[in-house]
Amino acid sequence: MIKNYMKIAFRSLLKNKGYSFLNIFGLAIGITCASLIFLWVEDEMSFNDVFEKQDQVYYVPTNQKYDGEWRTFYSTPGPLAKVLKDEIPGIVRTAKTVGENLMFAVGDNVISKRGMYSDADIFEIFSLSFLEGNAAGAFKNPEAIVITKEIAEQLYGKGVKVLGKVVRVNNNENYLISGVIENIPENVSFPFQWIAPFERFGANREWTREYGSNFADTFVELSPEANFEMVDAKVRKKMEEETGDEETVAFLHSIKNWHLRSKFDGGKVVGGKITYVRLFTVIAIIILLIACINFMNLSTARSEKRANEVGVRKAMGSGRSRLMLQFVAEALLMATIGAIVSVVLLFVLSPQFNLLIDKNLQIGLSNPLHLLILFAITVVCGLFAGIYPAFYLSSFKPVEVLKGVKATTGSATFIRKGLVVGQFTVSIIFIISTILVYQQIQHVKNRDLGYDREQLLRMAVNGDMVENFPVIQQDFVNSGVVESAAFNNSQLLSGGNNGSGLQWKGGVNTEDVLISFRFVSSDFIKTVNMEIVEGRDFNANKALDSTNTIITQSMAKLMGEGSAIGKTIRRGEETFEVIGVVKDFLYGDMYGTSDPVMFFNSTEHARYLYVKTTAGIETGDMLSKIESVMKKNNPAFPFECAFVDDSFNDKFKSEQLVGKLSQIFALLAILISCLGLFGLAAYTAEQRSKEIGVRKVLGASVTGIVRLLSKDFLKLVFISILLAVPIAWMLMSSWLEDFAYRIEISWWIFMVAGIAAIVIALITVSFQAVKAAMTNPINSLKTE
Amino acid sequence: MLLQIDNASKTINSGSKKIALLDAIDLNVEAGEFISLMGPSGSGKSTLLNCIGMLDGFTDGEYVFLDESVHGMKEKQRSKLYKEYMGFVFQAYHLIDELTVYENIETPLLYKNVKSSERKALVADILDRFNIVGKKDLFPSQLSGGQQQLVGIARALITKPKLILADEPTGNLNSKQGLEIMELFSELNKEGVTIIQATHSDSNAAFGSRIINLLDGRIVSS
Repeated sequence: MIKNYMKIAFRSLLKNKGYSFLNIFGLAIGITCASLIFLWVEDEMSFNDVFEKQDQVYYVPTNQKYDGEWRTFYSTPGPLAKVLKDEIPGIVRTAKTVGENLMFAVGDNVISKRGMYSDADIFEIFSLSFLEGNAAGAFKNPEAIVITKEIAEQLYGKGVKVLGKVVRVNNNENYLISGVIENIPENVSFPFQWIAPFERFGANREWTREYGSNFADTFVELSPEANFEMVDAKVRKKMEEETGDEETVAFLHSIKNWHLRSKFDGGKVVGGKITYVRLFTVIAIIILLIACINFMNLSTARSEKRANEVGVRKAMGSGRSRLMLQFVAEALLMATIGAIVSVVLLFVLSPQFNLLIDKNLQIGLSNPLHLLILFAITVVCGLFAGIYPAFYLSSFKPVEVLKGVKATTGSATFIRKGLVVGQFTVSIIFIISTILVYQQIQHVKNRDLGYDREQLLRMAVNGDMVENFPVIQQDFVNSGVVESAAFNNSQLLSGGNNGSGLQWKGGVNTEDVLISFRFVSSDFIKTVNMEIVEGRDFNANKALDSTNTIITQSMAKLMGEGSAIGKTIRRGEETFEVIGVVKDFLYGDMYGTSDPVMFFNSTEHARYLYVKTTAGIETGDMLSKIESVMKKNNPAFPFECAFVDDSFNDKFKSEQLVGKLSQIFALLAILISCLGLFGLAAYTAEQRSKEIGVRKVLGASVTGIVRLLSKDFLKLVFISILLAVPIAWMLMSSWLEDFAYRIEISWWIFMVAGIAAIVIALITVSFQAVKAAMTNPINSLKTE
Repeated sequence: MLLQIDNASKTINSGSKKIALLDAIDLNVEAGEFISLMGPSGSGKSTLLNCIGMLDGFTDGEYVFLDESVHGMKEKQRSKLYKEYMGFVFQAYHLIDELTVYENIETPLLYKNVKSSERKALVADILDRFNIVGKKDLFPSQLSGGQQQLVGIARALITKPKLILADEPTGNLNSKQGLEIMELFSELNKEGVTIIQATHSDSNAAFGSRIINLLDGRIVSS
């Protein structure tokens, strides 16, 4: 029986090539799109899965209260890790870590890798598996370092035993390789390529042993039987017990949740990437739905063709359930072919998709989970798309259809129209969202940053760059490609060193305000082109500025009425005089407002060198000149630099991803909907061919007939617009709420989306309508 | 007695009006009869045929088939009954376009859950008998009208029905093809198959053992 159904299904598929193509292609696009999204979701959900004990391992962030508001920071003071382990039952291991870039050199082989200094417990906490050496012996030697297989292979080549080898690091230190671990996959929240004992980092840094500075990423492992709530409650009290400061609260946050749920507001988790994971899952399902709707619509629309078969089969003794089975089987066959096509599409498209989302996702036909999901999508699609047509088609009465009575009933037409409206509503919502997401990103990108990010290069400080700076600067000037250069202790675009408890006279007593500190060299403000609104820039001779500071406008405002110039600020034991005020500039959260900043003229903490290059010089040329300057003055280190402009764009990654994906979804939704509409228009034209013939004989013009045929479909699109506008408005307003700095939704976007939908629908439908209208009436009228 | 119809009628609602398609029909059919229903278009031949074939139902009156009252039956029982005992032949053949001759003839057996080996034997027999073995792999569109109707009859006979209901079986055929079909019918009748046909043609009606004339839903003579 099944064989018979399949035979029929295959033959009718071949017989109606156009119809089959619309269905299969639509389903294939839907399945492909959904599969790609699910691949991405799988990757997002699998973050930190590589760590065996992910259910027991927690990260320790801190909530800190400033100006009456709880803010969450991903850093803890140095002593906390040991205290947690020693004093809180249920916590079996802890490790404080701090991330660093190290430059490894073996002969001419020089590579720079990110890793961390950590307590030894980290090996157990992360269940790292050793290829050489072991966890117990890893940190016996104070100069030890554990590296990944990847680094070992890059430095020494494949298959070389590296245990016990000494590697030169940053050209001034030696590390003893005490272990090689398995490579860490990309989908971890805290990527690292090497681990060295924390003591080595802390040796000359007294502040790592005090409660005053928050700098460490602390990880905690609970015993399997520990009660999380109880342990967490104790951790929350610990900081106050240790320091008496009740406005800093450390707490536990599962590393399992870290990737998807690490957005904090007022000290509480308010979501994170999980929002996008959910959103895209819903979108995947919607796109599949749209593809299924095509199938339903086309199947019921061409029911007249199938009605005869239904009648005959019933007359020959088929029950309704058997007919339904047959039609569902056909839908399943279509879905299966669609799935096969989509597998091909997936292989073709996944590199592009990876490029787009900046990941390396692989569809694996040998991966049982992937196969299962593909299979599930296929079956669900087939069933979903097939059930309604099956119900509908199998309901025909043999007497009526065999007599040739029109089989289409009102309800089917109504449902069909409803489904088309559904498809177009979704498509229009996608169009509107796409425009708005794009606008919002552009809006923020065009925001006045308070500095000039163009032609600005950033280099990490290493070797003797600071000491050699006068020479470097002179060489820069001689090269003709650099306007100025200056150091900073943190990246221009990110948050960095900050603190509170500053005192000044006048204004509100704002000891509680969090202020960012920037230690820069004399030319910094000039280099990044910040605008001095009052007072002056730093002296070229930094010694003259040792007790001076430049502040931002928001800081000046905090200090009260009138000019801030000449006022003094106490920071700990030191007092600084304000000599200049610069316009507020944006760092950290690009959508929010940044904390006030104090600049100090000091290169003591210099970590980055910012270089402003001369406009109008070809990039390659400019870079090679800068490189030769650096090679000459800092020869031990490879030249590495980044454009601030690129880092700026990176800050919009997740929004840009949403933007790009919603663009693709909008396109696909429209494409699939149009495939359906195209098919429907074809069948309507066919159904009404007699009417068209009669009208033409009676003198109707081609345009008149095209209008007649298009009118009905346009009505549906109009209804879709009416439905889509409020829904899109609601959805997008709530999306925009997340951004402090955001666009207003303007009405013309809805107009544009509506007109776009109408035009697209019109083009799709009119193609069929014109064809029908041009047919010679003799052909349509002679048949009966 | 194969079937017995007593004072049966069928009405339908068209808008607010009731229209009687069949009115006070009394008809007894013995096994082995060959009945021709005659009458002008709209006289109710097809409706009566469909009601007898249980594709349609009388709205009133009594219909007894093989001593069972059809009226009180559930859809399932009725379907079982006609699956078992009836074969249909249509004016427009109504073969399934996507199936070959062989598969078209096989389909009713599939619905009766006949085993594969048995199906093959039965279909082979009937192909042989109708002399269409060479055409078994062709699709309906590759056959002439007469050949298609031959397949239609073969399909109706494959389940060895007690009663064949034929609605204008030669209506779409030329006279030569029509004659062949009618000769086939009378041959089948001689073998014991009961046949009821609806027809316009006097010459076709003459093949039957009894002629029933219908007009406006009533039997006017038999």
